[in-house]
Order: sequence, then structure tokens, then C-alpha cells
Amino acid sequence: MSRRVVITGVGPVSSIGIGAEAFGEGLRAGRSGVSPISSFDPTGFPHIMAGEVREFDPKSMLSRISPRNWGRTSQFAAAAARLAVRDAGIDPTELARSAAGSCMGTTGGESQVLEALTGDSLTVGFAGVDHELMGHVPASRLAAAVNRELGLTGEALTVSTACSASNYAVGHAYDEIRTGEADYMLAGGADSVGRWSHAGFYRLGAVAKEQCRPFDKDRSGIITGEGGAVVFLESLDSALARGARIYAEVLGYGINCDASHMTAPNKDSIVACIKLAHRNAGIKPSDVDYICAHGTGTPANDLAEATAVSEAFDGTPPPISSVKSMLGHTMGAACGFSIIASVMGIHDSFLPPTINFAELDPKMPPIDPVPNETRYQPVNIAQVNGFAFGGNNAITIFGRYA
Amino acid sequence: MTGTGTTLAITGWGVVSPIGLGADEFAAGLATGRDGRTDVSEMFDEPIPRPDAYAIKDFNVKEHLGRKGTSFLDRSTALAMVAAGQALADAGLEVDETNSERIGVALGTTAGSVRSTSDYSKATFVEDRPYLVNPLIFPNAVMNCAAGQSAIRYHLKGVNATLAGGPVALFTALRYARRLIELDQADALLVGATEEFGPQVAWANEFAQRAHGGDLPAGEAAAVFVVSDAATVRGNGVRPDAEVLACEVATHIPADENDPDLDFSETLAASLRRALDRAGVRADEVFAVASAENGMPDVDGYEDRAIVSVLGEAPKRIRVKRQTGEALSASAALQLGALLAQHRGHPERDGAVSVLTGHTPDGVVGVAVLRGWSGRAR
Repeated sequence: MSRRVVITGVGPVSSIGIGAEAFGEGLRAGRSGVSPISSFDPTGFPHIMAGEVREFDPKSMLSRISPRNWGRTSQFAAAAARLAVRDAGIDPTELARSAAGSCMGTTGGESQVLEALTGDSLTVGFAGVDHELMGHVPASRLAAAVNRELGLTGEALTVSTACSASNYAVGHAYDEIRTGEADYMLAGGADSVGRWSHAGFYRLGAVAKEQCRPFDKDRSGIITGEGGAVVFLESLDSALARGARIYAEVLGYGINCDASHMTAPNKDSIVACIKLAHRNAGIKPSDVDYICAHGTGTPANDLAEATAVSEAFDGTPPPISSVKSMLGHTMGAACGFSIIASVMGIHDSFLPPTINFAELDPKMPPIDPVPNETRYQPVNIAQVNGFAFGGNNAITIFGRYA
Repeated sequence: MTGTGTTLAITGWGVVSPIGLGADEFAAGLATGRDGRTDVSEMFDEPIPRPDAYAIKDFNVKEHLGRKGTSFLDRSTALAMVAAGQALADAGLEVDETNSERIGVALGTTAGSVRSTSDYSKATFVEDRPYLVNPLIFPNAVMNCAAGQSAIRYHLKGVNATLAGGPVALFTALRYARRLIELDQADALLVGATEEFGPQVAWANEFAQRAHGGDLPAGEAAAVFVVSDAATVRGNGVRPDAEVLACEVATHIPADENDPDLDFSETLAASLRRALDRAGVRADEVFAVASAENGMPDVDGYEDRAIVSVLGEAPKRIRVKRQTGEALSASAALQLGALLAQHRGHPERDGAVSVLTGHTPDGVVGVAVLRGWSGRAR
């Protein structure tokens, strides 16, 4: 027996809107969540823009755990999970009594806590830093925060496979439900902006000055971003029994590893990952109506991705857009936001746009990046691409439930 | 199709620890009661809370992996890569073009190379310009470095996962690997955990120990286990080192979220009962328990109470942290190694059942039930 698995709730805590309604409006309007950095002092950085979630007020969003006991990234995770549960309309008491757990993806975990402590240590030494804050550093706290906020007694798993991590997380949650190991799962990812990652990507030549412009010939890199993106998963039978709104069905996923280079994307490995995901989902390339791209806006990623997609789809890929053009690169939350955008697109029949787009890079094979304007059309099957440092490729596939 | 459908077999393992390198040396170090505590006062320029730690002070990655590609590795990655190489050799698993896409990695950590990440942040504060960080070591500051580098070194193109579960990461890694094998997403995985010693983790450990009245120094280690489907292994006529009969992870939800005293004993006991049930073994069949006790009287008490309430006083108790310090996710991997060590070269113990327990400061608990064997002829 293998159960069908559906997504019935979404919880975006993003720079373009918090909650399904605001996020959906932001997507359809092609809003940019990019603003000058405020969560750290960017003095001395030549590029000072980021996709920060300025509106985030954890106190108003968290019901059970206290923000003071948890780092910002765990707060993002728990707040997004709380939103997803509310959006799913499931009774929280019933949820807490069930076989339920969480799986959260991340790149940096609570590295911004470690960064603050490191900053403090420059004057008082590590001996003099806040002892309790030191206990907030472990990345395992992201999933633990979700379970503690919602009272979930099952597995709490933080997957730290960097920028594809929330595709891993949703894939794992799907496996847990389809095998009957869990009845409900909260899955997605969270990350916070920080100096170290901003500096690191800048030094790799991968940070844009003003805008993220995926697939454009003048693209110059990512904009670092943050947030929490969580979806609520359950079996189809469970969703039907409680009359839940079904955004989309999880059809499958594929994960592989380049095993070639820590930071450079590998086109052939991406092609293999796409084929694996299609095989696992039981679909053909021609079934896919929309691809939510990894689309970071770096010259290397977008060229490799567009080339790989073209090859895997025999030269005729479906429309492929990047929500990172709006959100920046939210790292471990990135695939989570892409999944939310895609399942909302499936449910409400639209393709989110790639904003800041002027002209396709002539070095790329022809692709349709859904330039600048939301396109209203039915979406039966969507593919979400996620790639990462370490060659950690992960692709998830979603379908309209009908 | 539920989680009990597939049993994992461990067919080889590697370990880099303060009491020995490689499964045989580690087993011997454990059996002879070797103490891994060493003087680390000269190891770093930065102040550390105490002069001793369970560090692998003379570890030099170049001695194990050569000079090529090893110059910029962080310590936790280097430890993991060496342990992974040992595990592949111990299992006799040869990776080539025919199987590389079906062999993956599921590696546990707490927060990656904490020293690398912290030093990266430090550079943004102290350099003339905040961006004057070293781009070559940027990947070291990201948590999936050890798994990614291991994949590159050993050509492992299958699912490559880093599981940041801290002291419970090994349990989640075993569960993750079992699910992938059950669902035919992989034929074998390198499952394990790695943690490095450094000033930051030394202080973090010191603060945690002080808060709970303990006195155990920090440690470091990596251990990696080759796992695959037990039925397939048996079908190939191979006697494994162990079968993972059950592995459970659960979360303790406190009545009061602001109460710092997190008594997880009932949740751990319930997980242990459930694991025994799913493993199909009785409590009185358990011959040994490798637990996570680290000298914090209150927390150790919760763990001990859970174990004794389910298994009684009869099983042999193995407390590896007494010889290897507190190394979080890697400690759980050493606990597993300690259980396998009971069987290495001891065919008279073939078929004995043992239990592994762990818990995080946030109330997540893990239990594994193993049936140990003396392994393939080596």
C-alpha cells in the first residue's frame, strides 16, 4: 500500500508577504521584497541589498513557544509552520494527538546567532558571551521549534543540505506519509540573512548590486534573502475525509549528487536529476506545464540550469520562472517558497513571473522565463528545481488533484 | 508498506576517535578502557575553557588522504572523509560506474564546522573590508561540506544528505537511509556523523556542562557505517556486522514551554518500548545498552530512568562519553560503534540484541535496536 499525498496548507513568511493571501498577491503582482540591509550593519560591503522579512513579528505569530528561547531561523520555521496549519484548517489539538512531525531544510541554521556571539567574543572573549545564546546555535532547533510550537510528538528532522534543503524536506515528508509512518507532516525550510554568507557569496562574485535578474543577459548574481516556507502534508484520504482544500498532490521527487565540485553547478548531473524526478513521479517531460527554477541569477547557475532543462525536455521546455527575482535567494527556504508558489499556481491557475527581466541571455538555449508579468493559465504539473553547494540536487514534482 | 518493511544491515564501518582510528583500534581502545582525554592547551591561539579535551590532537588529514585536495578542508569534513574511506574498505564496497548513482550519504552534524562558520563571521568584523573573506573556504562554513566532499572523494552520486540533528542526528540518518532503501532510491548509504573540536564548541560544551552540574570536556570524532538492505546482504551470503531492527525518533513536548527543566524520560521510555515492539524483541533479550550519559546528573538521570524502566538493570551498560568526551552527533555514532565493537571478533555473541539511546537539549529523543553479528571475514 502506498498512500497518495497532498498539500493542504501553506505557510510563507516572506519579504513579499506573510501568509498565503499576502504571498499569493505578492507573487501575482511581481512584487520585489528586496531592500537595503537592516538586520546587520552593511558598512563596507559594496552591495547592500537583501530580501529581509522586515514585517516579521514572531511574538504575534507564535502561540506556544517564546521567541526569546529560540533564534531567528527557528522562529521563521515555527511561525511558517503555524501559518501552514492554520491555512490547512486542521484542528491543532487533533494534530498534536496524531502521528505527526516536521522536516525543515536550511543552509545556515542559526548561524546568525553564532555570528552575533562571534562579534561579542571580539570584546569579551567567548568566555564572556551569553551562555544561553550559545545553546541556540544547533541547527536541529529549527525542526524542534516547529514540533514544540505545534505540540507534535513525532520526528523533528532538520536537513542541512544548503539551498536545495527544503526540496529534500518535502520529499522526505512525502515518503513518511505515503509509507504510513506519519499521518501529517510540516515540511519546508528557513534561513536568516547574515554577514558571513553575504560576504562569502560576494567574494565568489555571486552577489548582485541592486536586483536579481534570473536568465537575463545582464544578470550579475543573487540577492541574499531570508524567511520561512512550510507546507502541510497529509494523505489524500485524510484530506478528502475532512473536506480540506487541496492545493496539489505530491507526485514524487528525485535527488542526486554531482560528486564533482563543491560550488560549480554540473549540467549533466542536473539532467540526470530531472530524469530521476520524472521517473519517480511517473511522468513524461511533456507532462510538465511549469518549472519553478532554481534560478539564482548567477551567470553560472542560470546557464547550467537552462541548458540542462533544454536537454532534459528535448529542446522544448515548458515555461520556467524564478521567484528568486522577487524574494532574493532565501537559501534553505528557497525550495519551500518555490513549492508554495507552484502549488498555489496549480490551485489558482497562474505562473509566477521572473521580474527584472529584459533580455534572454543569447548563450542560453531558448526558454520562456515568464517575463515580468504573471501568466494566467492552467497548470496540471509543476516541477520545482533545487540545487546547492556540495552538488546536492533535489527536484520535486507536483500535480493538480482532480 | 510501513516503516517496518525494510531492515538495514551494517556491513562495515570506520571511526576516527580519540581512543583509536579504525574499527579494530577503536574496539580495542574501548575494551581496554583507554582514556581519550588529552592536553589541548597548545592546540589553538584562542582561549579555551580548560586545558583538556577529548581531541584527536595528532590527526593530520594529509597522512590519510594525501596532499591533493586536502589543504583547505575543515576539520569536521576531514574527520568524516577519513571515516568514510575506512567504512568503504571495511565493508569491501567498491564504488564504480555501475553503482555510484545508487550509493548515497546521510551524515549527521550539529552545526557543521562551527569553527569555520565562526571564523568566517569573525573575518567580516576584523578585516579591513567586511567582504575580505577567503572564497576558497566558503563551502567549509556551510553544513553540507563533509557530505559533499565525501561524495567527491569516493564518487558517491546517490542521495547526499546532511542531517543536522545534533545528538539525535545519527538516529534520523539511520531512519532516512532505511526509507531511501525501502523505496528503492538507493542500494547503499554511508550513514554517520562528524564533529570537530575547537574553541567555539569547547565553550558551548563548557556552558552546557556548568548549567547542568557536569564536568565532561568536549570531544571530537567521526564514525561512518555502510548500510544496505539486510535481506539482500543475507541473500548474497554475507554476514553483516549488525541489523538495525528498529529506529525511532520522537519529540518530548513539555507542559510548560518556559520550564528549562526538560524531563524527557517518559518520551524516551515510550520510544524504547515502541522500538522493541517494532523490532519484535523482548526487553529481556537486550544484552547491552549504549547510552548518551555525559556526566550531567539531572539529564543522565532522565535517560537512565527511561532505560531502567523498560529494560531493567540486567543489560550491560556502555557509556562511551566517559572515554571519548561530549561530541554530540559524533558521540551517538561512537555509541553505535561501541555496540558493533562488542561483536567484532566475537562470534559467540552472534545474534545478541542491543540498544542505542540519545536525546537533544530540545527534547528530541532517539532509540535504535540492533542485532549484532561478527561480520564478514576480514
